[in-house]
Amino acid sequence: MSRVLLAMSGGVDSSVAAALLVESGHDVVGVTMKTFCYSETPSHGKTCCGLDGIADARRVAAGLGIPHYVFDVEEDFTRDVVDDFVREYARGRTPNPCVRCNSNTKFRDLMLRGRAFGCERIASGHYVRIEHAEGRSTLLRGLDQTKDQSYFLWGLPADLLPQLLFPVGGLTKGMVRARAQALGLATADKAESQEICFVPTGNYRDLLRRKLESHPALEPGQIVRRDGQVVGAHTGYASFTVGQRKGLGGGFQEPMFVLEILPDTREVVVGTQDELYQDTVLVEDLNWLGDPPRIGTDVLVQLRYRAIPTPAKVKVLDDKMILTLSEARAAVTPGQSAVVFDGDRLIGGGRITEAELTSN
Amino acid sequence: MDCLSMGNATMDPVYLDYAATTPMREEVCHAMGAYLSESFGNPSSIHRWGRIAKDALEQARDDVARAIGARSSEISFVRGGTESDNLAILGWCRAQKLEGRMPSILVTAVEHQAVLEAAMNAEKVGEAFVTKVGLSAEGGLDLDGIRESTRRGEAIVSVMWVNNEMGLTLPVHDVAEALESTGGVLHSDAAQAIGKVPVDVSESSIDLLSATGHKIYGPKGIGILFVRDGISIAPLIHGGGQEKGLRPGTEDVAGAVGFAAAIKLAIEEQEPEAIRLKSLRDHMELALSTQLVGVRINGGKWARAPHILSVGVHGIEDGNELLMALDLEGVAVSSGSACSSGGRKASHVMAALYGPDDPHATVRFSFGRRTTSQDLDRAIAATIAVVERLRRAK
Repeated sequence: MSRVLLAMSGGVDSSVAAALLVESGHDVVGVTMKTFCYSETPSHGKTCCGLDGIADARRVAAGLGIPHYVFDVEEDFTRDVVDDFVREYARGRTPNPCVRCNSNTKFRDLMLRGRAFGCERIASGHYVRIEHAEGRSTLLRGLDQTKDQSYFLWGLPADLLPQLLFPVGGLTKGMVRARAQALGLATADKAESQEICFVPTGNYRDLLRRKLESHPALEPGQIVRRDGQVVGAHTGYASFTVGQRKGLGGGFQEPMFVLEILPDTREVVVGTQDELYQDTVLVEDLNWLGDPPRIGTDVLVQLRYRAIPTPAKVKVLDDKMILTLSEARAAVTPGQSAVVFDGDRLIGGGRITEAELTSN
Repeated sequence: MDCLSMGNATMDPVYLDYAATTPMREEVCHAMGAYLSESFGNPSSIHRWGRIAKDALEQARDDVARAIGARSSEISFVRGGTESDNLAILGWCRAQKLEGRMPSILVTAVEHQAVLEAAMNAEKVGEAFVTKVGLSAEGGLDLDGIRESTRRGEAIVSVMWVNNEMGLTLPVHDVAEALESTGGVLHSDAAQAIGKVPVDVSESSIDLLSATGHKIYGPKGIGILFVRDGISIAPLIHGGGQEKGLRPGTEDVAGAVGFAAAIKLAIEEQEPEAIRLKSLRDHMELALSTQLVGVRINGGKWARAPHILSVGVHGIEDGNELLMALDLEGVAVSSGSACSSGGRKASHVMAALYGPDDPHATVRFSFGRRTTSQDLDRAIAATIAVVERLRRAK
């Protein structure tokens, strides 16, 4: 059987993926990526983030009798994911680090290592399905709608697709947990990871402060209405994201939401819920898993993880695309991903740069 | 196109990492057996169980002493090579401090971390001054420099007998001679030397010598420190006074017996084994240098011990990836030191010879008693295939 390089995080999904690949007779090579290290002084670092995951993955691999290696990708990860995350917040946008990681670090690195190790296939524990038929590879949403992770994979290098396997994409989370328990996997009852992996405390401002030291994004500024009326003050626009309600102060007659962040003037623009809606979205940094859709094609667009997809018409112009939504959506956020589907099929996506309301 | 991918799973893996550790010899297991079960006594006890254990321990000490040309009173059992190095260097410095003197430590740039880190720590806590001695490109140590640096005040010089990463043999006897006029104390880490090159402390005025069991087909977790009579060492840990107070704690009798059996055999068999290992190494060295472009024999201009072949491979960014790829083809090797893990940085030994930005990835093949020429042929074929594949992959 063919040799498969499997990304193992130490979590239950990639652990079950490993077991399933072994069962189906593949020659599985497990790898865990060490993406970052928290301890600033290694000689004193007690726990290095991610090391628990590495230990879990190693244990699962040993139990399955497959080799397991650790790749240190900290340098690449810092450059491509963490630095981008910081830069985006400094620009007043809300980044999507998991998308960046999958697009730029994780799968690219797996592809290179796979080649080096003589692996024909690359696999991960993502909840997505892939079909290989007639020389074409199609990426589909995971069967478990509540766990589907296709949103995070729009940036995959297209030339990698024919090599990919996603062994748990056709299972539900419940089935995966049951398999893990039946197999006696060490990670069966492990909690779901929710936080951004390099911000385990959940407080990304500490990271920004450390990385940026001093920057306008961390300095006080004014909270204003669309008409320029000053309604409050804030301690740094990097704490805000479009659609956010918290942290704006009280005293408004109706609930206020962040509509826009203006880095040049350090202003955070707020407004009522009605003002949040937009129907035209400009998207850049595009990636397509196959041919780009033709102008005017009807697609489904997902604007946030777990958001319900919106029907839209797409217009691709070289390195930009304009999406015209069939109905306006709230809080379309610069920096986040706009992910394009045809039904369940992932076509591609990009980063949202602007959004506006053009109808009525 | 990759013929290696076919059917390797059914082939036995090849272990070429004897410099990392070795399997215990049957004779060693056999010698130890009784002291792990029926003869379990504590050597400090007065009763018969104690006496049996004490006898075995002292017999082991005699055997070790005889094997390396020392006196029994000069051999202390410790818990491995790292502990032996630490005790030699820090223990000697501490003894000097107790006499009110501030000692200095000279180490070569290619010492094991156990020596380097111990020295650095002594400097950090203000117990000694540390000087690093570089190696010349032609393969020598600056003996005049060593002589000069040890003339002023109390000094210990640590020169490993055989380097673990490249197999370089360092001129320990020459350093001993150079130090005779200065009063400097000489320590040598002989962990990689015993059984591979002649090691005899009666041949020169070497003062302290470290060795460990698991590199010579003995047990892990046991080693010795040779301390020449008249040299003062202060203990680093304190307790019940075992090993003349130098290394307190209930003795590992089985370990000592195993160590003695292992070192006895290693030294008895050293000469023929060295010849056999050298011919294996030369075969692999020739095969890789002629069949692969862009490879360098690390330390090739130096005198080297016969069991280590370190190869620098050009055009591969990440040396660990090379080791992983070889492992997947059933060939177990390392980059140089099994003790330090990971990273793409050149090791301190590699940097000492080839600079910090050396563009070669390192593979260390190390050979031992079970290595056959068939093993090598498999490893040679795998290495060539993997190197070519990795170069293509980028």
